[in-house]
Amino acid sequence: MQFFQLPHIDFIAIRKYFYGLSISLMLLGIVSIIAHKGLNLGIDFKGGTAMAIRFEKEVTTHSIRLALEKIGLGESEIKTLGTSNEFLIYMKQQKGFSASEVVKRVQTALTESIPDAKYEVRQVETVGPKIGQELRKNAMIAVVVSLLVIMFYLAWRFEFIFSACGVLGLFHDTFLALGVLSIFNFEISMKEIAAFLTIVGYSINDTIVVYDRIRENMKIHRGDDLKSVINRSVNETLSRTIITALTVFLVVVILFIFGGPVVKGFSLAMMVGAVTGCYSSIYLGGALAYDWHMRHDVKRAFKMSKMKK
Amino acid sequence: MQRKLLVRTVIIVLLVGWAVYALWPTYKLNRLTPDQKNLLSARGQLVPLIDRSIRLGLDLQGGIYLTLEVDLPMLITQIARTTDTRLDTILLQIRQELNVRNEDFLNLLVEHFRRRGLALNEYWGERGDSDGKIIASLEKEAKDAMDRSLEILRNRVDQFGVSEPSIQHIGSMRILIELPGLSDPTQAKNLIGKTALLEFCLVKDPALYSDVLQKIDKALARKGAIPVAETIETVKADTSKSKTAMKQSKDKTVSVNEIFGDRATVQPSRKDTAANDTSALVDENIFKENPFFSLLRNAQQFGHEVSVPEKNIAVVQRILERPDIQKLLPPDAQFLWSSETFKIGDEPYKELFMVNKEPELTGKYLTNAQVTIGSDAENAGRPVVSFALNRPGARIFSRVTGANIQKRLAIVLDKNVFSAPNIIAKIPNGSGIITGMPDMDEAKLISIVLRAGALPAPVSVIEERTVGPSLGRDSIQSGTLAAALGAALVVLFMIFYYRAAGFLADFALFLNIMILLAVLAQFRFTLTMPGIAGIVLTIGMAVDANVLIFERIREELKTGKTVRASIEAGYTKAFSAIFDSNFTTIISSIALYWLGTGPVKGFAVTLTIGLLINMFTAIVVTRTIYDHITSRKTLTNLSI
Repeated sequence: MQFFQLPHIDFIAIRKYFYGLSISLMLLGIVSIIAHKGLNLGIDFKGGTAMAIRFEKEVTTHSIRLALEKIGLGESEIKTLGTSNEFLIYMKQQKGFSASEVVKRVQTALTESIPDAKYEVRQVETVGPKIGQELRKNAMIAVVVSLLVIMFYLAWRFEFIFSACGVLGLFHDTFLALGVLSIFNFEISMKEIAAFLTIVGYSINDTIVVYDRIRENMKIHRGDDLKSVINRSVNETLSRTIITALTVFLVVVILFIFGGPVVKGFSLAMMVGAVTGCYSSIYLGGALAYDWHMRHDVKRAFKMSKMKK
Repeated sequence: MQRKLLVRTVIIVLLVGWAVYALWPTYKLNRLTPDQKNLLSARGQLVPLIDRSIRLGLDLQGGIYLTLEVDLPMLITQIARTTDTRLDTILLQIRQELNVRNEDFLNLLVEHFRRRGLALNEYWGERGDSDGKIIASLEKEAKDAMDRSLEILRNRVDQFGVSEPSIQHIGSMRILIELPGLSDPTQAKNLIGKTALLEFCLVKDPALYSDVLQKIDKALARKGAIPVAETIETVKADTSKSKTAMKQSKDKTVSVNEIFGDRATVQPSRKDTAANDTSALVDENIFKENPFFSLLRNAQQFGHEVSVPEKNIAVVQRILERPDIQKLLPPDAQFLWSSETFKIGDEPYKELFMVNKEPELTGKYLTNAQVTIGSDAENAGRPVVSFALNRPGARIFSRVTGANIQKRLAIVLDKNVFSAPNIIAKIPNGSGIITGMPDMDEAKLISIVLRAGALPAPVSVIEERTVGPSLGRDSIQSGTLAAALGAALVVLFMIFYYRAAGFLADFALFLNIMILLAVLAQFRFTLTMPGIAGIVLTIGMAVDANVLIFERIREELKTGKTVRASIEAGYTKAFSAIFDSNFTTIISSIALYWLGTGPVKGFAVTLTIGLLINMFTAIVVTRTIYDHITSRKTLTNLSI
């Protein structure tokens, strides 16, 4: 069984459409972030207290809010988690930060205001302002460091231009994943950062495969011009690129549907990452490298054949 | 069979054997019914079995995860030679800065002192010591305090009886505690958060006390602190509920602003009063002339002296903290609240004590503390903590009790007065009881912290994550379901797309996951929910290696090579691509491991190990199988 019997798609020729698509998708992400007034940060980065409560029977958000108002926490965010008897109460930093106090008071308020509703506290998370700030910092460092390391690794294995183009593709992929999370207003916490980092590490794979093939074809088909070499390489690796992305996409979709609430945001980000990773390798890596080369120096394109292997 | 092939085959078989062995406990554990578990537990065999199974993270078993920070400002205050308001102000500023930024405390201290042109030796060390020398010794103190805190916390947690707790320190100021399997974390947090400083302080003479209260009262009245207010709600105290002859008083609610005579909003300094309380209940009869007294109550007939309704506590505390009021106190006295709230009728009250600042005795001298049920008339049926002192302590105790008969001795824990019994006679044997605990749980907690010792400095909880066991179970269920379905989907796809070769890749995948789980079990890595996601992801990425190889083989076959040569070429040429792709994913996993929180670390671990093993199973194992096949007979075509 084979999906792609050596296609001959001229990717370089149609790259302008791809660029257009990418830019519009990224714009969509930016618009969404602006519309939501920034990113929906989870308490890992925002600080505060989040309680996940499951009631035995249906309870309205309104009644919970009334209960909270009695203890001065009426301003808290209350979200439903899926079913109508599961809620997430998010409270900002309390002065004289004492989480156990807050949790106890909320529990008492709920028991008093909604008398016959039995409930179970499934999860409580409290993050102080210092820790929140540190996690934010660490998340950013992790992303930047990964990108840098990969950039140097690529530059060492291939040529600097490929490295730069590859990393550009990574930015594109990560940003699109972020955009999708924003559009569906998913919370960004440490787990979603984990997804982004995994996308960074994974998406570069396909790109490397394509570059690997370009390099090989440069040697074999010395006489050809850059455009046909890139096209040929992308076409030859198309089958492999799509299939590997497909296997990851399949498992991540399953994770999204069946994996439970804890990993929903993570799996959605990974889904986008799998798709964009494939998409960016197919055209972005090669096309960008092509444009860059064409811009700078045609002859340098043939220097690549002298690269170490 | 070739020598190399034989060696490879043997290695693979041994590896699989080891994996089965390492995973067997996990398998067995998961097949046990609750009854069988109880049986094993009785025989003492359950815990070893759990130990050898895959360790579950807090988000899968339920439990509580805490990050504590040691209160260094408080610590250095305690070891300072003298303290004054200047030092207090400096430390308060530093505290505020520390609250939002993670700076090094001692660096900030030096900075603040330099800014004011002060030398550290004014408060610490000897006169003439250089800043550097003092900082070094403070650092040593801080490290000592940290070590002691860890030890004490470990002690407390051990006594509390948590299975597999984890307590470690991070940096110079933080402690990480993991308590798996707890269903109600409140107790545990109380246990950990208590400083447990036990002090025995003599209560000041009642005449002196009354004198000071009067002074305060006059001071407040004099400053014209209570202007006539436009809006006063009159609230009549519900005297119908109180059954005893409490002095009839007309209570009215006044705004706190009136009492303080300024427009500032009330910031209660005690954490356990309602944050938005801006009114106070005062006895209208005496409000104008005796503003302070009107906030208090005399509850002598109930066995409590100066008492304050709960509503007024914030106000009273604020008054007492005012610098001008502080001046009216004798220099060796302090005000302390009772720990217990008692009820008169329906109204909750706390008692206010004036005691010596210097304790006669501290918890250092304790040798034991046990929970018992009180047997004497006063405490019959209520939980009490009976304590014993060591020899020096007993001597001091004997001397103090002997010299202060008919006076009261306040038993203070963490600046709360638990009880203040009358000293009837000299106590020579260094033992006594602590009463005033609301229930058995509290008493048990107190006995534990007293036995384990007082923390050298208070700790505050800066991060806390609690997962209830039901969420943990649900996570395991959905995680396992996702993994199973994902694996099934991938397996089917591979067979569909690559036929027999696909089946081979599926077999490698199966080994991959099995060895991954075995490594987790053997080397005691913790499996978290993101860790399960990592396994699912490994499933998806693992087959990539084989896809690369098979695609290459297909290509080579097309160019007309023999089956054997195609296989050879496929593996050789695909290797660098496989290596690169796994390598880059592993790089970002490592970054994630260093900088992520606990559960996310679990993800990094499973993904990295999964991919490392993948390089072996996808390449070596499948190649070995191919080699076996091609060494038997020459294939003319390949099901791929």
